[in-house]
Amino acid sequence: MKPGINPGINPVERVFRSAGVTGWLHAVDIDDGREVGLRADEPVVLASVFKVPLLLELQRQAERGLFDLTERVGVPAGDRTGGGTGLAAMLDDATLSLRDLAYLMMAVSDNTAADVLLARVGREAVNALLDGLGLTATRVVQNCREMLTSLWVDAGVADQSAVTQACTDPEVVARLSALDPAVGNRSTPREMTRLLAMIWRDEAAGAASCAAIRRLMALQVWPHRLASGFPFDDVAVSGKTGTLPTLRNEVGVVEYPDGGRYAVAVFTRSFGTAQNQPRADAAIGAAARMAIDQLRTHI
Amino acid sequence: MDLVRHLGYFLVVTEELHFGNAAARLGMAQPPLSQRIRRLEEELGVRLFERSSRRVALTEAGRLLVPEAREIVARVERMRDLMSDLARGDAAVVRAGVPADLGAAVLAALIAGFRDRRPDVRLSLTEMGTAAQVGALLEGRLDVGLLRHPVAANGLAYGPVLVRHPGVLLAEDDELTAWATVHLGDLAGRDLVLFPRDAEPGLYDDTLASCRRGGFVPTEIVCTDRLEFALGLVLSGTAVAFGAPAEVPGVVWRPLAGAPLAWRCSPAWRTEPGPYVRDFTTVAVQVLKESAGMVDEGVPPAPRVTPRPATGFLA
Repeated sequence: MKPGINPGINPVERVFRSAGVTGWLHAVDIDDGREVGLRADEPVVLASVFKVPLLLELQRQAERGLFDLTERVGVPAGDRTGGGTGLAAMLDDATLSLRDLAYLMMAVSDNTAADVLLARVGREAVNALLDGLGLTATRVVQNCREMLTSLWVDAGVADQSAVTQACTDPEVVARLSALDPAVGNRSTPREMTRLLAMIWRDEAAGAASCAAIRRLMALQVWPHRLASGFPFDDVAVSGKTGTLPTLRNEVGVVEYPDGGRYAVAVFTRSFGTAQNQPRADAAIGAAARMAIDQLRTHI
Repeated sequence: MDLVRHLGYFLVVTEELHFGNAAARLGMAQPPLSQRIRRLEEELGVRLFERSSRRVALTEAGRLLVPEAREIVARVERMRDLMSDLARGDAAVVRAGVPADLGAAVLAALIAGFRDRRPDVRLSLTEMGTAAQVGALLEGRLDVGLLRHPVAANGLAYGPVLVRHPGVLLAEDDELTAWATVHLGDLAGRDLVLFPRDAEPGLYDDTLASCRRGGFVPTEIVCTDRLEFALGLVLSGTAVAFGAPAEVPGVVWRPLAGAPLAWRCSPAWRTEPGPYVRDFTTVAVQVLKESAGMVDEGVPPAPRVTPRPATGFLA
């Protein structure tokens, strides 16, 4: 235990404080409803976590026959949304099916793929879906390009490389509207775990669509956040990250060999403004494990 | 004719498949042995051996007779032992081997349970590991044992398989006590105190294999079958141990997530169970379930490894 941290406080809170972040968390047993929360109903900035409801609406529109997920879409080299992964980093024209774009969006948080898919399904459709599921605190109002552009504008810089530099300046970070949940894509930890639980129980869409979403969330490549709390061969971790300056998020589902499955949503905001935040990344896994451990005390 | 004695001669010949060697083992000359086998064949009306100048082989009838003859000879021997015990005024005894870590309460329940069921029979318990029990059972020094699986021994029969899933015993200041359930992989870097491999070779290897699969390679393994010694090492923070909860101040027990260790045991006896073996087995199974937290073995879950993209092959 670090000196100066009150041992009487919530152990999840202790994990966040030790990592130098403010944290919001909700974890729920998908099958019996037991839950653990910390500021679970406060609004949080989703960052790339908004790709989960977007994927759900994509699947549901395909179910209704609005398009076929094998339809191939051209993504020209000259029209790419920024970001360090996937199509943004590729140099040539590409043609992918809708469902393979969804794979890139979920596996490596491909922003270009997400914007192509959001343009296809429409923001209003995503929000209507969220209303229908009773997730009224969750809103998708921006695409990735708008989020990134707001960073440039608020930071007063002209391009992506400059924004990375500028956003390590605490004064710049203080005026980024992208970090304000009232402005951009938003939710609460509790609504995110409700969404995941509905996907895992086949309630959010048809069973085949829910299975397709679960497949993509299990294919996410990042090992450093939620998965880092569960370095065990027999535990499955599926998730979707979200990242903006000082924000490190991940929502996902952790499945134990005894059949226990837990939806967990962790949102953090670091006090430090460094671009690299390994302690915040690891705190997401540690806090999630702490919460799920509490849910498993009865086993 | 003395049929039982003739069956005894027959069994020795089947083991040697050589009349000269069998006669030497029986301390008699070959011609009278051959004559007795012929009289047995006449009595039963079948040929038991194919005899040629080079070899002796069992006929089909001979093969069928072997298990029957063994049973008859063993039962008669047991009957004689029992009667001679009674003639000497000794009470009847069943000699049972039990593992060292059974615990005082379980042991007491076992003895009390057997006394209730068979007040006329004395239960003689010996503390023994599986390897020693196998030897003692096969040599007739024990009537029944409680063996830990996996065990490979010919000539033994087994009662129901019971299983328990041990948790981990930690010093109370170990940081892992913060968790309600501990994963095997969390134990990495710690020493382990475990029963000796000589005593429980199968279970020892099985337990360490499960530990490695779960990401726990003990820095050092200290072997002991003394519970007090093991708890002392745990208490001092020197090592962790697997087992049931211990009511010892300073030692904390936690379940292992996913129950990765399955410790199985079952009663075992020579192929022919002695007269009180079934009584002992019935009592032991009941006591192990009620007092030692064991359950009937269900279908063991297959160990699973969930794929993760970042740790995929060639990733």
